[in-house]
Amino acid sequence: MGQVVGAFAMSHVLFEPDKAPHKAARVWAGMREIGRRVGALSPDLLVLVTNDHLNNFNLALQAPFIVGVADEYTPLGDMGIPKTPFRGNRLFADQLTRFAAARGFDVARAEEIRPDHGLAFPNLVVNPGNRVPVLPLYIGVGNDIPPTPKRVWQLGQVLRAFIEQQRPSSERVVVLGAGGLSHWLCEPEEGRVNEAFDRMVISMLVSGRGEELAALSADQIRAEAGRSGLETMHWIFAAATLGGSRGEQVFYEPIPEWITGMGGIAIIP
Amino acid sequence: MTQAAYRVHRLIQDLNRDQRVAKAFATDPEALFDEYGLEANERAHLREGTPKALMELGVHPNLQMKFFKLKTGLAKAGAGGLKGPLDAYLRDLERP
Repeated sequence: MGQVVGAFAMSHVLFEPDKAPHKAARVWAGMREIGRRVGALSPDLLVLVTNDHLNNFNLALQAPFIVGVADEYTPLGDMGIPKTPFRGNRLFADQLTRFAAARGFDVARAEEIRPDHGLAFPNLVVNPGNRVPVLPLYIGVGNDIPPTPKRVWQLGQVLRAFIEQQRPSSERVVVLGAGGLSHWLCEPEEGRVNEAFDRMVISMLVSGRGEELAALSADQIRAEAGRSGLETMHWIFAAATLGGSRGEQVFYEPIPEWITGMGGIAIIP
Repeated sequence: MTQAAYRVHRLIQDLNRDQRVAKAFATDPEALFDEYGLEANERAHLREGTPKALMELGVHPNLQMKFFKLKTGLAKAGAGGLKGPLDAYLRDLERP
């Protein structure tokens, strides 16, 4: 059987360091540390769990879960991210979506994705040189009706079951949930950071209580973390792939100057 | 929480992917508003085009960003505009 050898989560963007230089330095150091830890696990595949910012999937058709099934992806290039292609894993993605369909998850399959910063930037940080193939997994947290955290948790468990039951015994998979934490982008509360909620999310996920966190409704997360804070669900997904395992906070900084709480965690089985 | 009608979201989505629509918005927005069937209140808010106006209309946050980027050439976040927010970090990643 294959194995999830590590589950990580971290914010998927940063902003100008001069707005909050000391915090920015600590956040960047934390992100680089997560990158080092991912690399040290020598993964054969990196599952990047994120959201699209209405660049590939807009409001014309809103799917709760989308898996990239292509052989290769070229970043969109937003925020100045280099448009350097990186490998996907068609066979893994195809088998995963079939496995999930048999377990109550009709996951959409996408051939033509130009990953925006939500995926492309964390990939740059944790996958230097694009040495490891990437499976893009999008959660529709920006949809009019986002999936429930409970469904997100369950799909994370399906991914783990798939890896353990269907994949080659030597395969090592790292899962990274990218996004969050609390932020009210383009909402009346913009600028607010809910540090208490962010720290609660981190505390629960690193103490093996992710399933309990996933009992929150999407509306509850939205109320506590903002609409864009629904990206917290990417963290829940990552934790579900190692459900019950403990981990540690790698970094956390509440940064009103960036209108968000920035964090990162590592969970190892 | 107010949510803008899809006709508003459709217009902003098209502004970002269809040069004809973007040009029409710049030259004759009223005709474009007619084409998309926008109501008076929606037209007024888009004409104003401020963060406050788009929030009041309930425009999706990601589409607000796209609207401001098209309008000003800059992505907007918080009180200040953003230009190359990742530049410093991308440079750092390029170092051996």
